[in-house]
Amino acid sequence: MESATNHQANPPFLRGEAGTVPSGLTPETLTPFQRLFKWFQTLTIEQRVLAGFSLVFVGILIISAISYHNTNGLLRNSGLDSRSHELIQLLGTIETAMSEAEGMHRRYLVTGERAYLEAYKRVIDQKPTLTAYLDELTQDVPDQRQRADVLHRLIERQLGVESKAIMQIQERGIQSVRTMALDGAGRRELEGIHQIINEMDVSERQAVAQRVIASAASTRHTIMLLAIGGGLQLMLLASVYYLIRHDITERRRVAGELQRRGELLEEANKELEAFSYSVSHDLRAPLRHIDGYAALLRKTVDHSLNEKAARYLQTISGAAKQMGQLIDDLLVFSRMGRQEMLQMTVNMDQLIKSILSDLRLDLHGRQISWTLASLPEVKGDPSMLRQVFMNLLTNALKFTSTRATASIEIGVEPASSDEIVLYVRDNGVGFDMQYAPKLFGVFQRLHRADEFEGTGIGLANVRRIIHRHGGRTWAEGALGKGATFYVALSREGTQR
Amino acid sequence: MTQAKPIVLAEDNPRDAELAMAAMEEEHISDKVVLCHDGAEVLDYLYCRGQFGARLKGNPAVVFLDLKMPKVNGLEVLRTIKADANLRAIPVVMLTSSREERDLAESYTLGANAYVVKPVEFQQFLSAVKELGVFWGVINEPPPERACSHQ
Repeated sequence: MESATNHQANPPFLRGEAGTVPSGLTPETLTPFQRLFKWFQTLTIEQRVLAGFSLVFVGILIISAISYHNTNGLLRNSGLDSRSHELIQLLGTIETAMSEAEGMHRRYLVTGERAYLEAYKRVIDQKPTLTAYLDELTQDVPDQRQRADVLHRLIERQLGVESKAIMQIQERGIQSVRTMALDGAGRRELEGIHQIINEMDVSERQAVAQRVIASAASTRHTIMLLAIGGGLQLMLLASVYYLIRHDITERRRVAGELQRRGELLEEANKELEAFSYSVSHDLRAPLRHIDGYAALLRKTVDHSLNEKAARYLQTISGAAKQMGQLIDDLLVFSRMGRQEMLQMTVNMDQLIKSILSDLRLDLHGRQISWTLASLPEVKGDPSMLRQVFMNLLTNALKFTSTRATASIEIGVEPASSDEIVLYVRDNGVGFDMQYAPKLFGVFQRLHRADEFEGTGIGLANVRRIIHRHGGRTWAEGALGKGATFYVALSREGTQR
Repeated sequence: MTQAKPIVLAEDNPRDAELAMAAMEEEHISDKVVLCHDGAEVLDYLYCRGQFGARLKGNPAVVFLDLKMPKVNGLEVLRTIKADANLRAIPVVMLTSSREERDLAESYTLGANAYVVKPVEFQQFLSAVKELGVFWGVINEPPPERACSHQ
């Protein structure tokens, strides 16, 4: 059974490495082998290794059980053998004792010398011990048991006959047994005893011989089982080893590839950094010059400047400033993507307070009704989260600027197990929900520049930062009815 | 009180230089400004060599340094100044377009006395340069005079 299990399991293992699927076979025509192979291919590497080790374990259990059973048989046989040898010896003792007793008894009958009765008496003395021993040794073997009974009876009979002859001598004198003395009193019985003992001896020797053959066969089987089983286990272990090695090689290759890509990425990142550095430095200079020379020009020709020319100069300055703002925002956006992230507990209440204090100049002269909920602590980078809420709040302020009384709410959604959802709600101009997916894209704006100023990077920054925290952002709103921006952060905080 | 000491302005970009000079002019301190077009010129000035070999001895009131300059860049000039016992006391103000954190960090580590990002908006640029010029060139009391040790 053990080898059968292995035979079924082994070929798929070996073919699994080759990675060939039997093609051109419909499921109906698949042999159990192929079906097993197909099933095997659906397993993960861990499951395959586990299956391999399970088979090895089961194999070892089966081999151990069979070996245990065989060894027990050998032990039992050797116990039986020693019993047989004792029986053969005992039979010899009984035979000798009975022969001696008969011989000596015959001499007594001839001579009447009582000294010859010693052997007879010894047999009488020993009889209970010997018969008990004989009973014990033959109790498990029925046919020997029967023969032992016959032997008992014959011994009894021989001793009985001899006893009768002794009594006869004592009663009627030695002459009365003369004829009996020629043949001996228990001669016939003794012959029976010889015969039955011989039978028992032969039978016992045969049993021993059979057991020797059986033991030898069993030993041979055990050795063969160990050899074959061990071989199969080795093959299985080799397959498992191959699987693991294959997997490790693959993992090493992937790790190497990852490292190579990581290096490439790092290089690209460095280039990007150099790029944005140069953008930061070199792109600003010409803008400063445009604005500067426009201002100098205005100053120089101040008195002769007509309204149109003044507006042109104004536009030049305005465009340069706007481009400067764009560059600054883009740099922040790019920095948020590659800056090292801190991971700490951030007190949102304090964060919002400090942002509002920074915004107090913008709040000046505005009619705003604030609703500030008590906010929980979150895990993340304080300066990045500050940027997020700074953007959301400046947005809320910007898009409520057309309202007589702006109402801005900062709150938290009812607690969920894995996320903290914060939101900023305003009663501003809102937006059409069909444009909601565009809100968080870079340079995506839903309003014309002359309606609300802005570069279209603020919400992109919000999304980038929240994504780096492993969180989500989304917005809800309706045209003219305000907007709500949601920020969901995972409770444990994740770093990307 | 008015100092007689010069203000060294290191600026490789002629337009930036002109705009800065325009700002200084408004404060009537442009005649005190020594304009250097790269880092090497700044060092020549400080060590009284090359085209500045014949100048009056003495350290300037302040050095305004751009970061990106040909030949010797701003950070290298800063390093040289702060490593020289005779020049170390000169106030050095970084005046640059870069607001990159590592530039800021490195400048202060090397011993810069101030770091000013040039605003894109001209009015802000103007007031920044004016304030810097007035503060460092007029209001601030420079370290005690030391003779140019090389001559």
